[in-house]
Amino acid sequence: MRDTWFETNTRVLINTVNFRNIEFLVQEAFTGIRRNGLMAFASISTIALSLGVLGAFALMAMGANNFAQAQLGKFQIKVFTDKADLAQARAVRDRILDIKRVKSAVILNRDKEYARLKSEHPNFDFAGVRGDRGNPLPYCLDVRVFEASQTSDVADKIRTIKHVHRVNEAREHINRVLALARVVKIASYAGAAILLITTGFIISNAIRLTLYARRREIRIMQLVGATNWFIRVPLVIEGVIFGAVGAVAAYAMLRIGTIYLSRGVERVARFMDSFSSGAGPGELAGALLIVGILIGAAGSCVSIRRFLHD
Amino acid sequence: MIHLQQVSVQYPNGVWALDEVSLSICKGDFAFIVGATGSGKSTLLRLIYRDLLPTTGTMAVEGEDVTTLKPSRVPYLRRKLGIVFQDYKLLPQKNVWENVAYALRVVGAHPRDIRRKIGDALALVGLTHRCDSFPNQMSGGEQQRAAIARALINNPTILLADEPTGNLDPDTSWEIIQLLEHINVRGTTVLVASHDSQIVDRMKKRVIQLDAGHLVRDQHKGTYQHCEL
Repeated sequence: MRDTWFETNTRVLINTVNFRNIEFLVQEAFTGIRRNGLMAFASISTIALSLGVLGAFALMAMGANNFAQAQLGKFQIKVFTDKADLAQARAVRDRILDIKRVKSAVILNRDKEYARLKSEHPNFDFAGVRGDRGNPLPYCLDVRVFEASQTSDVADKIRTIKHVHRVNEAREHINRVLALARVVKIASYAGAAILLITTGFIISNAIRLTLYARRREIRIMQLVGATNWFIRVPLVIEGVIFGAVGAVAAYAMLRIGTIYLSRGVERVARFMDSFSSGAGPGELAGALLIVGILIGAAGSCVSIRRFLHD
Repeated sequence: MIHLQQVSVQYPNGVWALDEVSLSICKGDFAFIVGATGSGKSTLLRLIYRDLLPTTGTMAVEGEDVTTLKPSRVPYLRRKLGIVFQDYKLLPQKNVWENVAYALRVVGAHPRDIRRKIGDALALVGLTHRCDSFPNQMSGGEQQRAAIARALINNPTILLADEPTGNLDPDTSWEIIQLLEHINVRGTTVLVASHDSQIVDRMKKRVIQLDAGHLVRDQHKGTYQHCEL
């Protein structure tokens, strides 16, 4: 029975990567890098810069998303009761908490609010508003929802509760910020996808140039009876090493860059505190390493194929 | 050992490099393939080491029908052959020892055997003292000796040499040809493509002459100019 392409390649790969050969093949990869130092340096630099740009964009996109989400999280629903007393206000709060999607509902301290108002407007005659009956402010509740997009629905439900006089939800404002957040999200995903593809091409091209410089070597290996896998494995290992070293360099650049940039931003605009990618150093390093290794390996595989003619 | 039956090769540009060539090379033969540039000498060798496929005709090397050989089996055919080129084709980033060892590595030889065999091969070609040198540090003759050592390391039954003396001075060329003869005496079939008339005349071996892709002469103990047509 004739072997399929997959069966043949699998058998040749298993024969190539045996215990005796693996040490030699890994050694070949390191020797190849050492003896083609300039080309290796060119490839690693290209990978580092490409991954650095990709990483910087990803961090900025994540930061913009998080910033938009943080702004949405700051929106709250203000619920004003009518002439309800404390017990009635508590009943309103309990009804609000029964609504699904409500994260919290807090009765604001009426006396504190009154004191704040008086200190902000010392010349205003509060006693004249309703006659001198003490604190003229109604009970007010601060309500927060899990998702900003649910604010309007929740506000409509709150309006139906007894003793609720008015509900302020900044509907238009929320919708505008929501639309902006959506645009930021879509733009960042699209940008990241385009940049990832571009990075893949750039890295693959850099590896192809390295291999092009060694095409005579590859041809000689074929002539002395090396199987395509025997030629391919060290070159793929080289690609993986290029990708990994490039990723480490890109990580170092990004770390230094973000530290300096965040210091500068903090000095200029305090409100930007929520402009953070949310990604920890470990996550960033891990993501860059995975992308670097995958693109390095894939770039090598695709480029070698061209020179092996298989 | 090598059998060609009505073999023709046409290149993509339309040129017929070989035209209905039939030929047999037996075990232990030493043969020169002679002819002007473009006569088809290198094409004939490329067919044998399966770098090319014939356009028509059939051929077998070491009992294998190379016209139907799967690409994945080509490396295994080449391991039975030793190939020497005019431009040596040594791996530039490897020293002599590593170049010769590479041919053993690809067949999965044990490191102990590699050390032993390389010692023997380098002694045979007189390069033991140059084992740490890189190709660009050696003369043409030394590089060709290293290439021959690499070609011989797996004990091939057939040694193919494509203009092995093309880049060498007459004295060094003669040394290389004597080395090939020595290898032939040990039992290896040797096929040399050459247009060095002095060497062919001096060796008095079998001469296969090609002219514009046609086999025009196959003579035992022949000379380069024997029958100019």
